[in-house]
Amino acid sequence: MIKKFNTLIILMFVGFLAMADNIQFTMEGPEVVAAGEQFRLSFTLNENGSDLQLPDLSNFDVLMGPSTSQSSSIQIINGKTTQTSSFSYIFILRAKKEGKFTIRPASIKVGVKTYESNSLNIQIVKGQPQQAAGQSAQQGNQQKQDETPSGTISKDNLFVHISVDKTNVSKGEQILATVKLYISQNVPLNGFDDVKLPTYEGFWTKEINVPTQVSFTREVYNGKIYQVGILKKTILFPQQLGAIKIDPFEITCLVRERVRKQQGFFDDFFDNYRVVKAKVVSDPVIINVKDLPNQPANYSGAVGNFSFSGSIDKTNVKSNEAVTLKLNISGSGNLTLINPPKIELPTDFEAYEPKTTDKTTANDNGLNGSISFEYLFIPRYAGNFTIPAVQFVFFNPSSRQFETRSTEAFNIKVTKGKDDQNSSVVSSYSKEDVKMIGKDIRFIKQNKAIFKPKGSSFYGTLEFYLIYILSIIGFAVFYILNRKKIKESANITLVRNKRANKVALKRLKEAAVFLKNNQAEQFYEAVIKALWGYLSDKLSIPVADLSRQNTSSSLLEKEVEPEAVSELMKIIDDCEFARYAPAAFTGTMKEVYDGAAKVMGIFEKQIK
Amino acid sequence: MKQLFNTILAILLTATAFAQTDLLQKANELYTKDQIKQSIDVYNQILMTNMESPEVYYNLGNAYYKTKQYTLSILNYERAKLLSPDDEDITFNLQVANQHVVDSIQDLPGIFIVRWWNSLVNSQTTDTWAFMSIVGFIIFLVMLGFYFFAKTSDVKRITFWSGCFLVLFTISSWSFAAKQKSRLVNHDYAIVMEPSVTIKSSPSEKGTSLFVIHEGLKVRITDKLGDWLEIRLADGNKGWLLAESIERI
Repeated sequence: MIKKFNTLIILMFVGFLAMADNIQFTMEGPEVVAAGEQFRLSFTLNENGSDLQLPDLSNFDVLMGPSTSQSSSIQIINGKTTQTSSFSYIFILRAKKEGKFTIRPASIKVGVKTYESNSLNIQIVKGQPQQAAGQSAQQGNQQKQDETPSGTISKDNLFVHISVDKTNVSKGEQILATVKLYISQNVPLNGFDDVKLPTYEGFWTKEINVPTQVSFTREVYNGKIYQVGILKKTILFPQQLGAIKIDPFEITCLVRERVRKQQGFFDDFFDNYRVVKAKVVSDPVIINVKDLPNQPANYSGAVGNFSFSGSIDKTNVKSNEAVTLKLNISGSGNLTLINPPKIELPTDFEAYEPKTTDKTTANDNGLNGSISFEYLFIPRYAGNFTIPAVQFVFFNPSSRQFETRSTEAFNIKVTKGKDDQNSSVVSSYSKEDVKMIGKDIRFIKQNKAIFKPKGSSFYGTLEFYLIYILSIIGFAVFYILNRKKIKESANITLVRNKRANKVALKRLKEAAVFLKNNQAEQFYEAVIKALWGYLSDKLSIPVADLSRQNTSSSLLEKEVEPEAVSELMKIIDDCEFARYAPAAFTGTMKEVYDGAAKVMGIFEKQIK
Repeated sequence: MKQLFNTILAILLTATAFAQTDLLQKANELYTKDQIKQSIDVYNQILMTNMESPEVYYNLGNAYYKTKQYTLSILNYERAKLLSPDDEDITFNLQVANQHVVDSIQDLPGIFIVRWWNSLVNSQTTDTWAFMSIVGFIIFLVMLGFYFFAKTSDVKRITFWSGCFLVLFTISSWSFAAKQKSRLVNHDYAIVMEPSVTIKSSPSEKGTSLFVIHEGLKVRITDKLGDWLEIRLADGNKGWLLAESIERI
């Protein structure tokens, strides 16, 4: 029970705290007043408070106050009732002397708690006699207004001014340009007509939204208090180098003016006013734009102060599944002018154009926010891939240096998907495309070249034919000089010899077949035949005329060794024995064959 | 007599080739330093001296390619290839440059022997073939000598057959040299230089328009009539165009 009660207390306390946090206590007052001028200082509280402790107001005369007022409103939205109320304490003060003063926070009690308001800065300028009564007193001040010459509004009383926060910038650095209308307090402005806004040529511009209803604040310019209205605020990004002139701004103001008239009897009660058109032109502003020093190779035009991050939606994918890589650039600078940073995808990946999301807002601090690039790509093949770290280079105008931010490298593991086969046609197609992009010509040849006159060639020149002719002549001379030797070599017997040898070998080949088959009869016959045939050819004697006697004599005549001749005779004898008296023959067929071959070899060498 | 004069002139020109070598080196340096435009001027300066070498054409082709003048780069690669048909780099770069040609022409499927024969002839320059024919002829003469002096029939047989082969080799090399020379002299092939050319059926503006070809395409010139040339594409299509729209290789 006690526990429950405690919880309830805590809940109530929390609720009370939450309510207490909603209490706002603010101090409001003009920023600029003239010395001697009356002005209002009001304190607003959205709860009923008590015990208002005023700050030190010794620099001001408190003319009146506090006058309190109270307002409350009840809202019912969808049956939900909200009640707001406000209590204000108003003081009328008057400044005693010129200078800048800070009014310290006031404090007030709500229940048991004490709340403090904000502090306030007030600038007091030299009093201007016609304004002494202030804006509220303007109507009672007609006498003075009459003194202003009618139909003319002096430049001091009404002018426009383009103010830029800097005039010396780097290319791409942002500039805040504000178009302000200054109106002297005694000039009653009726409206605008024919506004010609500056075009800002040479700049990329981004407008800051200002309320269409121009609200005037008080500001001091050249020691005078003016009503200042902000007509336009623009962020400029210079795109050219050198001195860029901002064209003057023109506006036609409609000013109400009292018509000075001979005061008649009836006219006395009413004032006659007319509306006068006053055209005002601002002074041109010149901005000096410097180029950026030594741009790095991968710099793509970003100027400002940025942070850079990258993320990938999945690192484990199946082939043919889409993966998104998101790069985010946030900060202040020419965000919308940033090109998507290049990412190096593995060649097997099918990549699409990056999608750009612009989340930027323009305000007095420049163009802020973030811009993100989404790269969609589809890995076509399984494997482990790495996308190298993406780098983003920008120029920081405050440090006047290029800075590089980079993401980490992304590792993607691609496993084989189900429809791998289906897509193989597509993937090979795209793979080829990628190959084409990476293709380049081979480098130039650095080696020494041999120059020739155009269209010339060795073929068909005199030298070409000369070489042929000279080599033929050389050969002919060589031939003539050696023709005797050649004739000897080309002797007819040489041919016969060659033929004889061939025939004998052929005949012995026949014998070799019989030797293999062990047909003794035919073998010996073949050997005898071969020998006789051979000798007939060698000695140029017909076979029929050959006998042992004439053979041996003509062989000896041809200077053949006598041993070879007797060897020949022995083989012939052996063969005849073997044929007709096999019993008397003791040798073998192999011995006979080898003997015949050997004898023929000797003859081949010795018979010329 | 006239030929002798030409020979002397050629020798003199070879002596002045040192100037070209210096220029080539200068142009190569400019190219390497990425001053491609200047290097093009220097390469052309070399060619203005009426001297040529495959390297100059090849490097000039590269320079044109880098400055995205693909048609001119194709023309120069083709000229380099004419002087040095067996160079792999030239063939490769020509193939890369040809990817920028709009028209895709299918070669007529020739008989494989003819294709093989043509590639054999084109594999060497005219000078190489001429040199080969001379070497073949001298070896033939040496073989003939050996044949005459041969003592044994084996040597005679070898020298006889090799001699026969060498005679054939000499004759065919000679004819290849002659064929290559005619390509060099006649300039039968050309590259289309105008962005798009309409091919007419007859050598006049009134002729029927047959088809349109685009710059960078290689065509063969088959006939000539006044300012008009008859051309033949690799796919066998024929037609007439004005001589100024193409540049001979």
